[in-house]
Amino acid sequence: MIAKKLRGRVARPIPSNAGIGLRARHYLDILSAPPAVGWFEAHSENYFAEGGLPLYYLERIRSDYPLSLHGVGLSLGSTDSLNIAHLRKLKSLIERFEPGLVSEHLSWGSVSERYFNDLLPLPYTEEALTHVICRIMQVQDFLSRQILIENVSSYLQYRQSTIPEWEFLAEISARSGCGILLDVNNIHVSAVNHRFDPLAYLHAIPAGAVQEIHLAGFDNSGECLIDTHATAVCDDVWTLYGHALAHVGNVPTLIEWDTDIPALPVLLEEARKADALLQEVRRERSA
Amino acid sequence: MSQLAALQRAFQTHILHANDAIQQAITGTPLAPATERLGIYSTAYRLRLLEALQTDYTALHAALGDEDFEQLCFAFIAAFPSTYPNLRWFGANMDAYLKATPPYLDIPVLAELASFEWAKGLTFDAADEDRLTIQDMAAIPGADWGRMTFQTHPSVQRLDFFSNAPLIWKAVAAAADPPQPSYTEEPLSWIIWRQNLSVYFRSLDKDEAWAIDSLLHGVNFAEICTGLCEWVDELHASQHAAGLLKGWLESGMIRSVHFKT
Repeated sequence: MIAKKLRGRVARPIPSNAGIGLRARHYLDILSAPPAVGWFEAHSENYFAEGGLPLYYLERIRSDYPLSLHGVGLSLGSTDSLNIAHLRKLKSLIERFEPGLVSEHLSWGSVSERYFNDLLPLPYTEEALTHVICRIMQVQDFLSRQILIENVSSYLQYRQSTIPEWEFLAEISARSGCGILLDVNNIHVSAVNHRFDPLAYLHAIPAGAVQEIHLAGFDNSGECLIDTHATAVCDDVWTLYGHALAHVGNVPTLIEWDTDIPALPVLLEEARKADALLQEVRRERSA
Repeated sequence: MSQLAALQRAFQTHILHANDAIQQAITGTPLAPATERLGIYSTAYRLRLLEALQTDYTALHAALGDEDFEQLCFAFIAAFPSTYPNLRWFGANMDAYLKATPPYLDIPVLAELASFEWAKGLTFDAADEDRLTIQDMAAIPGADWGRMTFQTHPSVQRLDFFSNAPLIWKAVAAAADPPQPSYTEEPLSWIIWRQNLSVYFRSLDKDEAWAIDSLLHGVNFAEICTGLCEWVDELHASQHAAGLLKGWLESGMIRSVHFKT
């Protein structure tokens, strides 16, 4: 019921082209020479303060660009109670900035109110599925809007898992009414780490549920690929992104770069690459 | 306990206490056995919290050097597991930890540096509120001045330090050689505030520190004038208080005025 009510209720739409993650080191560059980029995505928790410089810059940038809010702290998969104070802050931020999209992760990060401040993978079991669906619906009820859920990179799998991650994600979307934020880099990283076919993952995702795509870079630790967001998007991920667009169509695509953040033009160049692929899909679909 | 809750608790025990019971629940491969895979998460946990502390405590970091700072942070992380979904608040107990924990408690400048840096952070993103101006004050009839009490701007913080911690911070921020730690018999008073989105700090003379502290405790202007007689003669006390108030108003430290009999 709630799922039907919430689907598609967004205040200011994010355009179907490339955006970049908003980072403090780029504030002044963005304001002094507003770049030709479709939209920005801000990490919600970075703007939970009650005032000061970060909110000032977010206001300025929000007045010129569509904005999405991407959270890392809700710990949706935890068996702890939802942190209502955190949720209230998110709601207040949403009311102030009217983001086109609001997203969180398919992960957990706390036990007994001790936080790992990480996006830990869930076991893909019926119990976890029911739990996460219930939590997402609670959050959507509280926020009175749909949220998107992002697939995370993972470095381990649990023996108790009985459902492939892609089925788990698709089922969550179908039963909670949440949208999907498809992180193509995370699919690649997890596919290498767990030896599954990334295309099988992609094709199991309901195309209509995907409202945003993330692209980022990773590092190789030797044992595993690590989702560091510290490098450019690699060729394999660009190829997989092409497949993703062929499957889901034109979807707003974010370039994420959170560590060793480069100068703004480097991010804009990555965004231009994504835009070129989005443009290609647009042409093919209109032909 | 549900299977999911039990698994999450076992994962927590592994990350916080290096307990390996969770290993049997993890699928390993010859290239990346379960221990290596779990290790990625437990290492990342500590490094992520370390990075948060490095961001919050740049001068403390500079004062200790990389190796000692890391040692301090890992001990702090073990003593204070994160209870915040937002890393912004993780370092909140650093000054208390330094005051209470050997060998740091024997070097008081470290806790004072941490107090100063944390307070600056609180000022940086304190709530945006209106500020009282000199023009607002001009509209208040003279007969009401004695009853005035003030609310300070949320960014205002009052601190007392025995050490030269703020000067060490200032040097580190300017990428200059910091002065050697030094201490005074009596603490020196400091105020930190934000104006036009920038964070400022300065030391306070004893009379101004007393007046600000009184103001923060809701003491009215007449009582502040009387109290200032400890430092200036009675004839000039009101004028002196008005001068201090003008300075606070010009610096944007005052949020609002109220009236108390």
